[in-house]
Amino acid sequence: MNSWLLAGTVVLGGGVGATLWGVATGPLRRRVVAQNLSTALACPGLLLLAQGYERPSYVDVALVLALLGPVGTLVFARLLTDELAADPPRAWGLTWAAAGLVAAVVLALCVAVGPSRELVKILLTGAILIGGNVVASHALSGGFAEVRGG
Amino acid sequence: MADAVIVVALVLVAGCATVAVAVRDPARQALVLAVLGVVLAVLFTAVQAPDVALSQLAVGGALTPLLLLLSVRKVKRRKGRER
Repeated sequence: MNSWLLAGTVVLGGGVGATLWGVATGPLRRRVVAQNLSTALACPGLLLLAQGYERPSYVDVALVLALLGPVGTLVFARLLTDELAADPPRAWGLTWAAAGLVAAVVLALCVAVGPSRELVKILLTGAILIGGNVVASHALSGGFAEVRGG
Repeated sequence: MADAVIVVALVLVAGCATVAVAVRDPARQALVLAVLGVVLAVLFTAVQAPDVALSQLAVGGALTPLLLLLSVRKVKRRKGRER
């Protein structure tokens, strides 16, 4: 078992385990934030696993998760608008902490991989994930109020 | 030792599925199901099946919650009209 797999296991066990706890208990606003963070934490875990298994093609899974995870959160932000409008979730600290973790993992992987096509893919995954999560977090806290209703 | 990843993923899937059964409110259940989709994708990757993980991400991460929430909304609207 190499250190990449160990790091991936720790991120998945600790991070996704914590979001599982968050999504299982507490008020609705805490649950949607935990659902958003589960994507942000599973994605670096998958990137680390891809590096640990030495299979660059596994990065595709992380890339698809980075694309579809925020889409799932936006579905909740759109369809739970009425429930969330009463007390909107604000978790910018957690969002930026997760974004920092993603950035750290992507940076470490870039150093390990070296300049290649794979590096571009990993960078793209990190950028999409951080951008998507910030947008989803903004939508959850009622940032796009003008597109509400219906 | 590489089995540790599989064990962690299995424990997460078991915990998440148990929570999905235990939660009663459909909207909250949809949230747990979205997380379950992501965790299942991680498990499939850990057992070297990334192709299955890709389709699981699309279905579990976005489509299942969308369908659930849309049906909940429709049922609620119909109830409101009958009252």
